[in-house]
Amino acid sequence: MDHLKLNETPVRTSKNFNINNIKLENVNIPEDAGEFKNVKIYSEGENIHYSNHVSTANLVYGISQNFAEMLNQRANQNIGIHIESGYCSTIHIDFTFDKNNLNLLDNIEILADAGAKANVIIKYKTLEDLEYFHNGMIRLFAKENSQVNVIFVNFINTKSNHFVSIQNDFEANSKVKYTIVDFGGKNSVTNYYANLLGDSSENMVRTIYLGKENQLIDLNYIGELRGKKASINIDVQGALKDVAKKHFKGTIDFKKGSKKSKGDENEFCMLLSDTARSLALPMLLCSEEDVEGNHASSAGKVGEKELFYIMSRGFSFKEAMKLVVRARFNNIISEIEDEKLRDEILEEIDIRLD
Amino acid sequence: MSEKLLEVKDLYVNTEDKEILKGINLTMNKGEIHVIMGPNGSGKTTTANAIFNNPGYQKAGGSINFNGEDITNLKTDEIARRGVFMSFQLPEEIPGVSVTNFLKFAKNKITGKPVKIFEFKAELKKYMEELHINPEYAERSLNVGFSGGEKKKNEILQMLVLDPKFAILDETDSGLDVDAIRTVSRGIELFKNEENAVLIITHNTKILEYLKVDYVHVLVDGKIVTTGSAELARQIEKEGYEKYKG
Amino acid sequence: MAKTNLEEINRNIYDIRNEDNYDYKIKKGLTPEIIAEISAQKNDPEWMREFRLKALEVYNSLELPTWGPDISELNMDEIATYVRPKTKLSSSWDDVPDDIKNTFDKLGIPDAEKKSLAGVGAQYDSEVVYHSMKEELIKQGVIYTDMETAVREYPELVKEHFMKCVPVYDHKFVALHGAVWSGGSFVYVPKGVKVDIPLQSYFRLNSPESGQFEHTLIIVDEGASLHFIEGCSAPKYNKVNLHAGCVELYVKDNAYLRYSTIENWSKNMLNLNTKKAIVGKNAQVDWVTGSFGSKISMLYPMSILNGEGAKTEYTGISFAGKGQNLDNGFKVVHNAENTSSIVNAKSISKNGGKCTYRSLVRIGENAKNSKALVSCESLMLDDISISDTIPVNDIRNDEVEFSHEAKIGKISDKTIFYLMSRGLSEEDAKAMIVRGFAYPISKELPVEYAVEMNNLINLELEGAIG
Repeated sequence: MDHLKLNETPVRTSKNFNINNIKLENVNIPEDAGEFKNVKIYSEGENIHYSNHVSTANLVYGISQNFAEMLNQRANQNIGIHIESGYCSTIHIDFTFDKNNLNLLDNIEILADAGAKANVIIKYKTLEDLEYFHNGMIRLFAKENSQVNVIFVNFINTKSNHFVSIQNDFEANSKVKYTIVDFGGKNSVTNYYANLLGDSSENMVRTIYLGKENQLIDLNYIGELRGKKASINIDVQGALKDVAKKHFKGTIDFKKGSKKSKGDENEFCMLLSDTARSLALPMLLCSEEDVEGNHASSAGKVGEKELFYIMSRGFSFKEAMKLVVRARFNNIISEIEDEKLRDEILEEIDIRLD
Repeated sequence: MSEKLLEVKDLYVNTEDKEILKGINLTMNKGEIHVIMGPNGSGKTTTANAIFNNPGYQKAGGSINFNGEDITNLKTDEIARRGVFMSFQLPEEIPGVSVTNFLKFAKNKITGKPVKIFEFKAELKKYMEELHINPEYAERSLNVGFSGGEKKKNEILQMLVLDPKFAILDETDSGLDVDAIRTVSRGIELFKNEENAVLIITHNTKILEYLKVDYVHVLVDGKIVTTGSAELARQIEKEGYEKYKG
Repeated sequence: MAKTNLEEINRNIYDIRNEDNYDYKIKKGLTPEIIAEISAQKNDPEWMREFRLKALEVYNSLELPTWGPDISELNMDEIATYVRPKTKLSSSWDDVPDDIKNTFDKLGIPDAEKKSLAGVGAQYDSEVVYHSMKEELIKQGVIYTDMETAVREYPELVKEHFMKCVPVYDHKFVALHGAVWSGGSFVYVPKGVKVDIPLQSYFRLNSPESGQFEHTLIIVDEGASLHFIEGCSAPKYNKVNLHAGCVELYVKDNAYLRYSTIENWSKNMLNLNTKKAIVGKNAQVDWVTGSFGSKISMLYPMSILNGEGAKTEYTGISFAGKGQNLDNGFKVVHNAENTSSIVNAKSISKNGGKCTYRSLVRIGENAKNSKALVSCESLMLDDISISDTIPVNDIRNDEVEFSHEAKIGKISDKTIFYLMSRGLSEEDAKAMIVRGFAYPISKELPVEYAVEMNNLINLELEGAIG
C-alpha cells in the first residue's frame, strides 16, 4: 500500500495548511490479522450482558471507510456490552500485545440502557518491543438518563500503529465522560465523534497525550450539538519532545435546534524541545443563535522560572521536567477514581519521559 | 397632601415557574424615599425587575400604576421614557460605546429632544466631579473594566443625567466601602427633590445613616411583612429577620 | 415608510449605475490571443507580455480550491476581463467625465480629499481615471501613480517587486490576475520619509459581467511610514461579477505601513482578492479591514514576518447578511526571531448570512522568542445565520508565546434589558451593541471612513432587527 489518507476533518480548509487529513506511508496493514487472544475482561456489578454481536452500521466519521470496513468484516475481537436500566457497573477490558498477539482489530459496542450507570476502562499495552498493529472501534449508545464514564488508555510502544474510531450517540439527559490517555504508537490516530442528539445531554472529553521520538499523534475530535441545552466540553493537554508531532483537530458544531447549548474546547500543548511540532485546528461551527461557544488553544515551552524553582529544590532538569508535565496532567488524572490506574499512568509518564 | 407616584397592587411574579413575589402592595408619593429590606432570595431584585417589566420575570397577577398610568405591561424602554430609572446590582458592560455617547443617546431617547452637546458635556462633567469619578471615564467604554464601586457610581451618574421621576436603586450600596457609600448617598441627595421619589433596595443599613428615609418595608418570602420608619431598619440590623420568617 | 424600502433607498446610493458606456470590450473567454491583445492595448513592455502569458499557463494548470465557499457558479468564459472606460488619465477632477464624476460625488470622494487626504486614485472599471497628490509629497520623492504608468516609468522598481510577494502559482485566481491584471495603484515611499496623512484609492466596478483585476504595489522603504486606504464599491447587477485583485506590500527594515480597507462591493460580487505583505527587520504592517459587501468573499491578507523583530496586527470585521458568504481571515508566518502578531477578528451574521473566520498562524523553526495572540468574536443576530471559525495554528519551535481564543454567541438579553431601562428601544439597543462590537475596527479608520462604516452597519441593521 502506498499511502493512507485518514481522519478527514468535517470541514476542509486550505490544502497548504496540511491539516484536512493525515497521509501516512509505510503502514503495514496485516492481510490476515490472525488471532488475538490476550484479552482480559472482568467486571463488578450486576446485569451486564456480554455478546460477540456488534453493530456493523456505517460510522458517521471514523478514521476512514476502509478502516471501518476492515473491522466490520474481519475484527478478531467483537465485544458487545449491555448494561441494563438502573444498574451500576464497572467493566475492565485489557488488551495486551505480545509475539503471539500481534494484530488487534477490536470492535466494541457499549449499550447503556435508560438510567444505567457504567464505568468502562479499556486498556491497550504492549509487552515486547515489536511492531504491532491496532485498529479499533468503540460505539457507545447512551440512552436517556444514563451515565457512562469511559477511560481509554493507550500504553502501546512507539514502534506500533494505533488507530481508533469512537462514536457516541446521546439521548436526552445522558452524561458521558471520556478520559483518553494517549501515550503510545508511532502513529496514533484517533477519531472521536459525539452526536449530542438528546436535550440536556452532556459530554466531557479529557485527553492527555505524550509524544516523543518521531511519534505522530493525530486527533480528530468532533462534537455535534443537536439537542437543546446540550453541552460538550473538550480539554486536551499534551506534551511533545524530540521530533514528535501532534495534529489536533477539534470541531464543535452547533446544529440547528441546539438552542441554549454550550460548547467549550481547550487545547494546550507543552513543547519540550525546539524540534517538536504542534499543529492545531480548533473549529467552532455555528448555525444556531442562542448558544455559547468558546475555544482556546495555546502552546509554549515549560516556564523557565517554574523549572528553576523546582531545580532549586534539588531536582535534576529531567526530574523537574517530569514534575511539570505530571502537574499539568494532574487535573485530568486526579479525576480518575481508580487509584491503581492513576499511579500506573503517572509511572508511565515517568518511563516515557526518561 | 402629597401626590401619588407609584402604586403596586397585589403583584405576583414568577421566574422559570417558581413563584417569587406573592402579592406585593406598595404605594409611594412624590418627595419620598422608601427602603425595601429583606434576606437573600426574598424577592427584592424581582420587585425592581417586575416594575421595569423585565421579560425574564413573568407577572402572574396584580398591577403597577405610575404617575396615573397603568405601566404593568409596557415595554421596558417605554417605562424608562415615562421617567422610571433603575440602578442595577450588576450593571452590564457595553464594549465600544463610551459613557458620554451612551448617555447622550439615552438622554435623547428619554426626553425625545435633541441633546445640546455643550450643555450636556458641562452637566456630565459637573456630576462626575460631584461623584469623584475620574474625568477620563467619560470616554471609556461603558462599565468595561470598571471596578464594582466605579460601576455603582456610574449608575448614580446615569440617574443624575437622565433625571427620572422615580429611581429604584437595587443593592447600589452593596460591596462598597464607607467612602463610596458616602459618595453614592451624596448623589442621591443631589437627585432628590419634592417632585421625584427613590426606592432603595438593600440588605444593609449603612446608606440609611446618610439619607432621610420615610418608610422601611421588610420583604420576606415574596411578601412585605412589615412597614415602619427608619427605626425599623436599625432594629433589623440588631435583630435580623428571624422574627419575620414563617 | 416600510423598512425594506428605506433599505433600498439607502443602498441605492451605492448602486448608482451608469449606462454601460465603454468603447472597448474584448470578447469573452480566455486564450493566449486575448492575453496578447490586452498586453498590446496596454503597451506592455516585452517582459510584462511574457509574464502575462506565463501566468495564463499557470492559470490553466491549477485547480479551483477544494475548500471554502462554493464558487461553481463562476464561469470564467462568460466574464469579459477587460473593460476600458471612455476616458484618459486625468490630472484634475474637472477633466473627469460627468457621469463618472457624479458617481464619485455621491460617494463623497473629492470632498474627503479636500479635507484631509493626501491623494485620491480612483479606478473606474479598469483604468485609473483620476490621480492627484499633494505637492509636498512629490517633493519628498513619494511616487503615487497608476500601475500602468509605473510599469513604464519605474521599470526597475516594478520588475524587482511585481508578483514576487504574491507569486502567480499561489492559487488559480492569482494566476488569472497575473494574466489579465489592469489598473491599480503604485506607491513608493523613499527611505526615512514619513507620510503623515493617509493616501487613498477608491475602486469601482461598473460594467456588467466585467472582472476587476487591479494590482496594488506599495513599497515603503527603510524607516519610512505610510497609511494607505483602499475603498471598494460596485453597483448592483444581475450577473455575477468577479474581483480578483492583488495587493503586494513591501515594508522594508524599520518601516511602517497601515493598510485599511472598507469593502462594500455589490451583493452579487465574487471577491477573490489576494493581499500579502513582506515585513523587514523591526518593521510593522497593520491591516484594518471591514468587509460588508460581496456575495462571496475569500479574503485572507497575509503577513510574512521575515525580519527580526517584525510585527503585524490584523483588525478586521465581516458583516454578512442575506445571501452572503464571507469567508475572511488572516494568515501570518513568523520567519525570524522576536517577531510578533496580534489578531483581533470579529464577525456579525444576520438574516441567513454566513461568516467564516479562516486563518493560519505559523511560527517557524527559526522564529525563536516570537509571540502570536489571536482573538476571534462572532455575533449571531438570528437563528437562520451561520458563523464558523476555522483557525490553523502551526507551532514549530518551543520558544513561543502563542494563544488563540474564540467566542461565538448572541447579544445577551440582560444587556438588552439594561439598555432598554435607559430608554432605548430594543432595536436601538441592538444597534448600539453592534456598533460597539465593531468599534475596535472603526476607531482604527480615518473619521470619514469610520462614519461610512457606521452608516453601512446601520444600513445593514435596518429591518434586520426587531
